[in-house]
Amino acid sequence: MKDLPTSLFPALLVGLPVLFATLSLFFRTRGKALVGLTGCLLTAGLSLIAFVEVTQRGTVIHILGGWEPPLGILLRMDSLAAVFIGMTALVGVFISLYAWRYFRAQEATTGGFPLFWPLWLFLWAGLNGLFLSNDLFNLFVTIEVIGICAVALAVLSGKSGALFAGLRYLLAAITGSMAYLFGVALLYGSTGTLDLGLLGQVLEPGTTTTFALLVITLGLMIKMAGFPFHFWLPPAHSSALAPVSALLSALVVKGAFYILLRLWMEVFGVSLTYAAGQLIGLAGAVAVIWGSWQAFMQTSLKLIVAHSSVAQLGYLLMIFPLLILAPGVTAGSADWLSSAWTAGVYQVMSHAFAKASFFLSAGIIIMALGHDRIESLRDLVGHMRITALAIGIAGVSLIGLPPSGGFIAKWMLLKGIFLSGQWWWAPVVLGGSLLTAGYVFMLLRLAFAPAREKEPFRPVPKSLEVCALLLALGSFLIVLPADYLIQFLESSEIFGSGIESIVEGGADGND
Amino acid sequence: MSVLIDSILAILAVYLALQCLLAPRLTQTVFIFFAFGLALALAWVRLGAVDVAITEAAIASGFLGVLFLDALRDFSFTAPNKRENLEAVHDPLSRNDTKSLLLPRLALWLGLGLFLLIALEAVWKIPDGGGLTAAAEALLPESGVEHPVTAVLLNFRAYDTWLEIGVILLGLLAIFAVGGIKLYRKPGVAADDPLLRQVILFFTPVLFLFGAFLLYFGKTGPGGAFQAAVLWGAIGILLHLGGRPVFSVIPRWLGQLLLTVGLVFFLVLGFLLMAGGGALFEYPPAHAGVLILIVETLAAISIAAALTAIFANLNQMKKEEPNEIESTN
Amino acid sequence: METYQIYSLTSAVLFVIGIGGVFASRHFIKKIIATIIMGGGVFLCFVSFAERDALSFADPVPHALVITGIVVAVASAAFALALARRIYQLTGEESFTNDK
Repeated sequence: MKDLPTSLFPALLVGLPVLFATLSLFFRTRGKALVGLTGCLLTAGLSLIAFVEVTQRGTVIHILGGWEPPLGILLRMDSLAAVFIGMTALVGVFISLYAWRYFRAQEATTGGFPLFWPLWLFLWAGLNGLFLSNDLFNLFVTIEVIGICAVALAVLSGKSGALFAGLRYLLAAITGSMAYLFGVALLYGSTGTLDLGLLGQVLEPGTTTTFALLVITLGLMIKMAGFPFHFWLPPAHSSALAPVSALLSALVVKGAFYILLRLWMEVFGVSLTYAAGQLIGLAGAVAVIWGSWQAFMQTSLKLIVAHSSVAQLGYLLMIFPLLILAPGVTAGSADWLSSAWTAGVYQVMSHAFAKASFFLSAGIIIMALGHDRIESLRDLVGHMRITALAIGIAGVSLIGLPPSGGFIAKWMLLKGIFLSGQWWWAPVVLGGSLLTAGYVFMLLRLAFAPAREKEPFRPVPKSLEVCALLLALGSFLIVLPADYLIQFLESSEIFGSGIESIVEGGADGND
Repeated sequence: MSVLIDSILAILAVYLALQCLLAPRLTQTVFIFFAFGLALALAWVRLGAVDVAITEAAIASGFLGVLFLDALRDFSFTAPNKRENLEAVHDPLSRNDTKSLLLPRLALWLGLGLFLLIALEAVWKIPDGGGLTAAAEALLPESGVEHPVTAVLLNFRAYDTWLEIGVILLGLLAIFAVGGIKLYRKPGVAADDPLLRQVILFFTPVLFLFGAFLLYFGKTGPGGAFQAAVLWGAIGILLHLGGRPVFSVIPRWLGQLLLTVGLVFFLVLGFLLMAGGGALFEYPPAHAGVLILIVETLAAISIAAALTAIFANLNQMKKEEPNEIESTN
Repeated sequence: METYQIYSLTSAVLFVIGIGGVFASRHFIKKIIATIIMGGGVFLCFVSFAERDALSFADPVPHALVITGIVVAVASAAFALALARRIYQLTGEESFTNDK
């Protein structure tokens, strides 16, 4: 790891947004927004340049303070991290532009929420820091930065519903990170290192390792709202301001998933059993069905979209049983690993684009109508053609119809499921898509239905609708470079890897 | 003998933790929380972690305890019948659902019991990883400071510490985001309580000097930016209670500067070191000691300012003034 | 039994008490304090291993991690307290009982 080429980009990707966040504190309302937006655009630009750097030089590292692990901390930007950082930049820049216009339009009545900007920039720094981190304790600090920013953004509206949801979210987040940290303490005590690469080499199986795996997994499951710890997500995501809901569902929950994936695949290989993979897959499967069904039953747009997040996150957990091989199967002979990894990465990306677009559209509708009860979506097509189109496109990607990013994700997941012979997951994938189709078409049917009475649609800035539409289109456009992207991802060590499970001993119940 | 002391301390900590959560009145909870913090601080001392003990006593028990104590004005003294018995078994609110909650509660306690057994086995059977003591000892001379904990905090793992200074500022921003805060009360009448005035007059210089002492000697022994910051923050809190809220006396830009200077200087220094060809936070060994002292001083100022501001803002969240709520964004 | 083991076992007990408190307590303040107790357990675990790994001084890395961790936990707790007080200010509620 130490021999890899070094680069300054990892340090800049964390430092630059923090610099602009603190700079923006010195300005008042409009100045804050202006400095904040500038910071967002620069961070996005820097992220894309860093992405290109990784495509050309391969994995790059940055040894902080010049102190090598295990004593020091090392930032590592491999192709997986680069893809997540690039995704954050693309989704983040559209949400930032939307937020700029959205808050400006409401400035007179709400004060324009200038605190959004420093908090969002800190959140961005935290996310970049998390994707780059290669150190267990540093990961804890980044998830705390992300957690505090996320909750602070979620309660920005100051309404009591949002405050209740925010406190619930914060308590869940603190509990989750403390559980995670307990696992870190045990791993440090038993190995004397916090560096992920070194840990993967020296970790021995045993009761302590298994327990650390259990608490870390539980903690991260709480953070990513994995079933059955999803209780905090729908109220928190649905009561936040529209750009914030988009950030929370598109990016924040993915952070915990990213750590879970890294730790399971890079560190805990020695303790993982086939049963552990099946168990976490089961949690994902239940989330897919339960979340989709709940979304189907809701009557307000934001609650539908929020419950749909629970389901879409479930698909992410369903790749784990494919990556943890049955006893006797070697990673070399498992030809579905690449499919499963592709499914995971594409599910993350397509959900980020589609869900961000969905929440931004919901914000536009709330702006136009003053509420988001779905019966008022009647004749949306007649009033707001672009928003209706955005909802349609994003919905198609969530269902997983071709040629969307969601289609690649679900298709690859099914391919992995059948190649690995774990056919029992297939009905869940199909059932989840059917239920998703149910609520998406319910929305579209309403959007095309003739209006019963004249609903007062207030005019909404066109640029907001365009932002939502572009994000929705993004969930389709990510399909175009699929071959190139998968080839690029395969340059990282982690992508395409699988865990050859130990035959006896080890995990006793991880979910 | 030492096993006996440690065992008693351990049992005391567990007892206080349980009592803290089971106490029927919130007032009791908060005071037992102080005691719990003290027990933990003693445990840190027994384990040779004096820095942690000071941090625990100052921030976790002291500062946070003061915040809880301040919150009690709202929570426990209004409508005592309904409020204080919220936790009691015979609470009329909970009587109805006692039966329906029995099963989930039983499951929760059984699950926790099982979880505890596995946890105990896991810490009991932990292999000896050896830690990083030797690595830290070998590189200590290059770090620019003599105290190993300061070396880890400000040099070996400076990145974490930088992020942590950011987290404190974030905590303050997050409290602003909650809303309902009238940004820093106008300078009130200075406390007419002569005792309070004397306390402030006496403690301000003492706290300041003691903080500076901890900061400077963090280089060679226990102490450092965080411990100093809490003492300086205590000055801000005292002044606030005495009717002289710091942030309404000084100009707005100065307040913002105090809050951010630690984080920004640390980062800009890191960037400059990067521009000079090193990595982020890679101090040249010859100047490491001086740079660390400057970083620590500015960090302590920012943390103290943030703690003062956090207290000041929470202190004003009173129930009495629902009509005067205005946004500070 | 070694000294560190007394404390590492205690750390597990405190951690579990904290989890129980987060779920079973009702009042916001108790829930927040429960997370601090959980954190206390975690930090005790770190520091007990630092004592075990002592040479001429105790392992400084866990000490530094714990100092960082305490500060982070306090920042989160202060934020949670602000939320709880604001909820009380707006609605008079002190627990999630009447929420939903």
